[in-house]
Amino acid sequence: MNDQKDEQMRVNTIVIAAALSLAPALSQAQFDFRAAGREVQVHGFLSQGLGYSNQNNFLTMNTSQGSAAMTDFGVNVTSQLTDNLRAGAQLYARNVGQLGRWRPLFDYAYVDYRFKSWLGVRAGRVKTQLGLYTSTQDADFLRPWALLPQAVYPTDLRSTNIAHDGVDLYGAIPLGRAGSLDYTAYAGVRPDDKYSGLYYQFEDVGWTAHDQISASMTGADLRWNTPLSGLTVGASQIFQKERTALPSTGIAPPGFPAPLPDIEAVAGPDRTFAGYADYALGRLHFAAEYRRNLDYVDLQGWPTGRYVRNLSERAWFVSASYRVNQRVEFGAYNSRYYVDHPAALDAPGPPPDQSAYHIFDQAVTLRVDLAHFWNVKLEGHFIDGVGDPFSPHGFYLRVNGTNLDPSLKPTTNLVVIRMGWDF
Amino acid sequence: MKQLRTLCIIIVLAGGAAATLTCADVKVIANPDVGAVSATSAEIKAIFLETKYALSDGSRVQPVILKGSACEAFARIYLGKSARGLETYYRGLVFSGTGLIPKMLDSESEIIAYVARTKGAIGYVSSTTATNGVKVLGVK
Repeated sequence: MNDQKDEQMRVNTIVIAAALSLAPALSQAQFDFRAAGREVQVHGFLSQGLGYSNQNNFLTMNTSQGSAAMTDFGVNVTSQLTDNLRAGAQLYARNVGQLGRWRPLFDYAYVDYRFKSWLGVRAGRVKTQLGLYTSTQDADFLRPWALLPQAVYPTDLRSTNIAHDGVDLYGAIPLGRAGSLDYTAYAGVRPDDKYSGLYYQFEDVGWTAHDQISASMTGADLRWNTPLSGLTVGASQIFQKERTALPSTGIAPPGFPAPLPDIEAVAGPDRTFAGYADYALGRLHFAAEYRRNLDYVDLQGWPTGRYVRNLSERAWFVSASYRVNQRVEFGAYNSRYYVDHPAALDAPGPPPDQSAYHIFDQAVTLRVDLAHFWNVKLEGHFIDGVGDPFSPHGFYLRVNGTNLDPSLKPTTNLVVIRMGWDF
Repeated sequence: MKQLRTLCIIIVLAGGAAATLTCADVKVIANPDVGAVSATSAEIKAIFLETKYALSDGSRVQPVILKGSACEAFARIYLGKSARGLETYYRGLVFSGTGLIPKMLDSESEIIAYVARTKGAIGYVSSTTATNGVKVLGVK
């Protein structure tokens, strides 16, 4: 464990040193070039963070002791091949606690053909249009926050909907004096990410997903650019079906038979709805989003009969930020996550107090742009609740006690410092 | 009265200076090969926000913009965004895989030179800038 921590510190030191030495160059660099007569744009980003919490470890980092295991970076290449045809790809990797483990993944790799302004087709690995920030959630340089509102954009569960291997239809429809509509409809298969909360949530309670957790995705997004300048409202709906084999690891949560049985988990259609609004008024910026996930998982092979696990949840956030000048911006958000049916309700014994199964997060942020494309953020989080530790949303048993004796405390105060560069 | 005072504070904080900018402060210019002589403000907005790639007469166009805060007037008047907000918007397109950042140039003279020599280019300059070699589009 100490060797791993030392190695992580060495890697982080190298990352920070390299970034600091490159920052002046990156802040002025433009990495466009021409190939076969076509302009090719190259862009990318790197961020390094530090998290410290007074208790409870967050996002699989050892934040209670201070953790610098919070690095991510990406690079993309895009070219307009003909008047109507564009292609691009983005490679992304992260190491946030035990999430990602530096494994590079294609965020997107697509070809895009625009027939008309109201009809285009995009195919390949495509980022999913869901809510305000799904498709740009890794690009923290676009926003004041070091961490997006975790109730709606959990960093640990990024891979559940950030992209799909499939096809999108999209377009923009002018509405005259009523503004315009942007629509996207898509279908595909969810790419796999073994180093994500989706896998860890099973491992921490007694199962392991050796095989890929496969999932199909279909959905749509509709956003209205209203006649009121700066105001956009919209809604998204996504359906997913998942199936995976889950052999037992020999452990079980309290109240459940140990070891847990080998099962096959079949979920779906899981339904996620998002309703959102974004309003930019000069130096002020307001945003809000509501999410509703209806998710029932049929755990086939349960020895005592059919066991359908209810993983439904609700979440929302409201945020406000103010840009003081070219260099300074501050803001705050309130983020709320509710578990509809905690696992403890299914265990023998008296039912738990359901009002405790939530995560409320009040965050305040200061962003300073040290130079163009180079920023640092200082953010404080005042978190009440840990959700359901057996269906984690940032609070994982692997770094907070054990499945039989979770050491989670009811509140967490977390400070995050994050420095980022982009070009 | 308290609500009115609060609203006034919000408007001041929000940067009420935007209210002083008008269409008369900016000229939209295009390469002489572009067939259209005018465009609606909605078309201009759609072109520069990359939701549309041709004017209503079918002329294929590609936008070029000024870097940084120099595009503040145009961004506020035609796109409803600050210069920074526009930059954030373009970078969001790239990092979500839904678009490209338009050509960005440092000065109005570079904009005019680029638009003059590039088929389909559409840009903007301040209303007092000479526009030799390019077409000025009327905005309805």
